[in-house]
Amino acid sequence: MIFNSEISGQQEHTTSPVVTGGSVIALVYNGGVLVGTDTLCSYGSMATFKNVQKIAQISKNTIYVSSGEFSDFQQVVRELAKIDRSALQYDDGVHPSPKDYGNYLARLSYKKRCKINPLYLQNVIAGFDNDKYLALVDIYGTYLESKFITTGFASYFCKAIISNYWNENCSLDQAKQVIRECFKVLFCRDCRAHDVIQLAYVDAQGTHIEEPERVETKWDFNGFKYRANEKLHTQ
Amino acid sequence: MLKHLYDTDCVTWSPQGKLFQVEYAMEAVKQGSICLGLKSNENVVLCSLKRQPSELAGYQEKQFKIDDHMAIAIAGLTADARVLCKYMRTECLEYKYTYESHHPVGRLVFKVAEKSQHKTQSGAKRPYGVGLLVAGIDPNGVHLFETCPSGNYYEYKCQAIGSRSQAARTYFESWFHLFEKSTLEQLILHGLSALKKAIMEDEELNEKNVEVGILGKNQKFIHLNAQELKEYIQKLETFNANTQIQQE
Repeated sequence: MIFNSEISGQQEHTTSPVVTGGSVIALVYNGGVLVGTDTLCSYGSMATFKNVQKIAQISKNTIYVSSGEFSDFQQVVRELAKIDRSALQYDDGVHPSPKDYGNYLARLSYKKRCKINPLYLQNVIAGFDNDKYLALVDIYGTYLESKFITTGFASYFCKAIISNYWNENCSLDQAKQVIRECFKVLFCRDCRAHDVIQLAYVDAQGTHIEEPERVETKWDFNGFKYRANEKLHTQ
Repeated sequence: MLKHLYDTDCVTWSPQGKLFQVEYAMEAVKQGSICLGLKSNENVVLCSLKRQPSELAGYQEKQFKIDDHMAIAIAGLTADARVLCKYMRTECLEYKYTYESHHPVGRLVFKVAEKSQHKTQSGAKRPYGVGLLVAGIDPNGVHLFETCPSGNYYEYKCQAIGSRSQAARTYFESWFHLFEKSTLEQLILHGLSALKKAIMEDEELNEKNVEVGILGKNQKFIHLNAQELKEYIQKLETFNANTQIQQE
């Protein structure tokens, strides 16, 4: 199947992802923006790469995370780093702001979508440039700035948790607890989720990417241990 | 100096290390009517003297808006200026389309300078015969740049180019230390005072032959209209440059 294009002579485009990253949750808090993602890259339903850093720092005050095809994520990181590097040649000390990255990525995604060859990603750009910045760019190139963002399965499971326990003026610790709670639920319900997560936040002092941590989960329920509900049907 | 031996094209150096074609292009700038610019911490003001080719004609505009945050004043060949103006406007539009923010000023001036330099290093091309004063505001602050046909560009606190611009520059040398903290109105009056120094004895400034454009951190580029120009030119009579206030 892979070499179809050589036989038919037509160019084939990516229409399904191969190695995928899971959900991303991003929240604005009183001092900046907090982003959380797990450290798993799945190969279909196989949990192949369990210790992947999926949070990229693309400038002093901007971070980029995405869910979807991981090779596309790596390519986007290279593209965005290119902008900052080429800014150096002008010698004027002006660097792209988080908003510049967000809009550039939106234009790039839209262009690729128009050629039916999308970047198979839901992208999240978070930054702090005089004020907090958080934006989602989806697979179609839609650009949305927001105070909280969820991608993938988190959009289904976690919005209720975020609505109930988070507001945009909460503290960093409160926001971290909300995200940890969300990933706990995701690990239980999303088949492609992992219990090791990584948090990163951007504030006025810059970017801080934390060490990966394991979410607390409880498995020693009686029902699990003793399988009280499962009776072997004999006879 | 046997200039004519070495001035046929851009690809010939003179023994003194000069490119005469480029220098002649700079002369074209000096033939254009005067335009000047000055900046404070918050604003940039461009003033120019418009020429009227004949009694029957209108006055040739010398200031063009490039984007909300940037404008140019030209001296020299207007046709060449239009080409550069179009290039700058296109670059700003493309930048806005991609990044949703304003093109950094220094960067655009750099691009114009690069384009100008290109024309000085070819046997088949001639340099642009126009100098630009580029006024712009970006996150780096308030800017005033001058570009030359040679491809050089310089940043200024205040500058005048065109014919009899030396008189305006002399005025600036005396008073530029005040400009940083000047209000917009004081800046405009300083600009017009400098312009007045550069006109001929039998000429006078009026709302028809003067063009003033203003740009500020919270002010998109606009031209002053005829009424406002009239008022400012009237205020010139009693403007004291030192104290920057009106006095009888």
